[in-house]
Amino acid sequence: MKLKKYLTLTRAGIIESLQYRLSTFVMVIGNLLYLIVVYFLWRAIYNSADSDVVNGMTFYDTLIYLVLATALYGFMEIYAVWEMGRAIQSGKIVLDLLKPMEYRSHLFWSYSGTFIVNFIATFLPTFLVVAIVTHGTIHFGLNLLFFVISVVFAVSINYSIDFLVGTICLYTESIWGINIMKQMVVLLLSGATIPLAFFPDTLRTVVSYLPFQSIYNAPLTLLLNGTPDPQEVLRTIGTQIIWCIVMMLLSKGFWKVSLRQITVNGG
Amino acid sequence: MQKKGFRFYLRIYFKILAQDIKSKMSYRADFIISTIGMICTNIAGFISFWILFRNFPSVNGWGYYEMLFLYGFSLVSLTPVQCLFDNNWSLRMNVFSGDFIKYCFRPINIFFYYQSEVFDIKGLGQLAFGIGTLIYAWVKLGLVFTPLMLLKMIVFLITASLIMISLQNAAAATCFWIQNSFYILDLVCRFRDYAKYPITIFSPFFRFLFTFVMPIAFIAYYPSLVILRPDEVPVLSWISPVIGCIFFFASYKFWMHGATKYSGTGS
Repeated sequence: MKLKKYLTLTRAGIIESLQYRLSTFVMVIGNLLYLIVVYFLWRAIYNSADSDVVNGMTFYDTLIYLVLATALYGFMEIYAVWEMGRAIQSGKIVLDLLKPMEYRSHLFWSYSGTFIVNFIATFLPTFLVVAIVTHGTIHFGLNLLFFVISVVFAVSINYSIDFLVGTICLYTESIWGINIMKQMVVLLLSGATIPLAFFPDTLRTVVSYLPFQSIYNAPLTLLLNGTPDPQEVLRTIGTQIIWCIVMMLLSKGFWKVSLRQITVNGG
Repeated sequence: MQKKGFRFYLRIYFKILAQDIKSKMSYRADFIISTIGMICTNIAGFISFWILFRNFPSVNGWGYYEMLFLYGFSLVSLTPVQCLFDNNWSLRMNVFSGDFIKYCFRPINIFFYYQSEVFDIKGLGQLAFGIGTLIYAWVKLGLVFTPLMLLKMIVFLITASLIMISLQNAAAATCFWIQNSFYILDLVCRFRDYAKYPITIFSPFFRFLFTFVMPIAFIAYYPSLVILRPDEVPVLSWISPVIGCIFFFASYKFWMHGATKYSGTGS
């Protein structure tokens, strides 16, 4: 059974992350505090605006969008770049390469348990609180299903980008700088800091051709749309699938080429 | 133990500093990439700021340039914590692995020795960016420039830095008791991003919370009032230097308490 070996890694990941209950707790608290800050900040911003709807988004839409973007970030960010960078610097990578599984899948599946635990322990509580605070702005219907599907692709795209960036560490041996750059680019261009609807037109057009908007903007737009239009949904998820495949091939190819470059000090 | 003078510590500090810079310089690519990363972070922050104010002319009576001033102020006041106290981020690893014990055997102050070991040069890019933003906002706001203003500015910048340093010290020191304190440190780090917003947007309860419990309002808001709105300076602004010193002292005591309690890992 091929799947079984992956699921074993998932199980190990779940058990491992259950060891760090405090960190989960701190993460939920962090998300809730963020919710408070975002609530008051955007309340003040919308109060200073002339109308209730700015760029097609109401105050509650913006609130849901930003808080859930942070919650998604919290559960998707697995510090894969750090993990790879450290493995490369310490030479531990040699051991991982010897394993009877592709490094890329091994790393992903060892994190899959953390994804599941984080989704349940940090994302769901945050989601519920937002749903309550915004008095039913989130429509409970088909859009939830689309959202979940979209998140699965988002996780994959995000991981591919992480892996691609992590591979660069093979050449530069710099982790912090590369990672912070990746984080900034992804967070800004994916709409996690400010909803993409607020971007100036030209910038928005540029961003729509990049893979980043598929990570946060796509699932959140699908979630906020209570009356989904089939064509719109298909287009969003279709774009995600295309990016998912493209980024996967890119990161795999780059890794393969780079492996020939690898120099491990001492091992 | 005999009391060592200020000059003694200053001389030692520069000796350790020189060693650190030498070792950093041997990873030149990492240094360059990290510096670029830092600049990118600041540019991304600035872009999101700019996008926000393209859509909304003011927030709660605070105009674009006033907010920019707060932003620049927070950047400058965050520089010392970035440059001089960066080793706090590694404290958790050192305590966990047992390396921390080496600091306990030096005949100088543990806190001083530990913090002096790392000087983060890339923080200087942030300083330059912050000062640039401050000057730009200052000119655009048409504020007068007098030596007294400059003096006030410096005093309050130091105050803001002290508060931030204390928060980080206290968060880092929790690792003497808690295993995985990274999340606490990360949470505090995320919170300093909110320091750049005027505290008046919050409800009274959170205003109290952010002033006395988690004093992020002192990082930019209260000190900036002295320069920006000289007619309506609350008492809290004037006593903030004292508060800064108290917080710093308390966090130092807390840190030292943890350090003296440390018993090593036995290796």
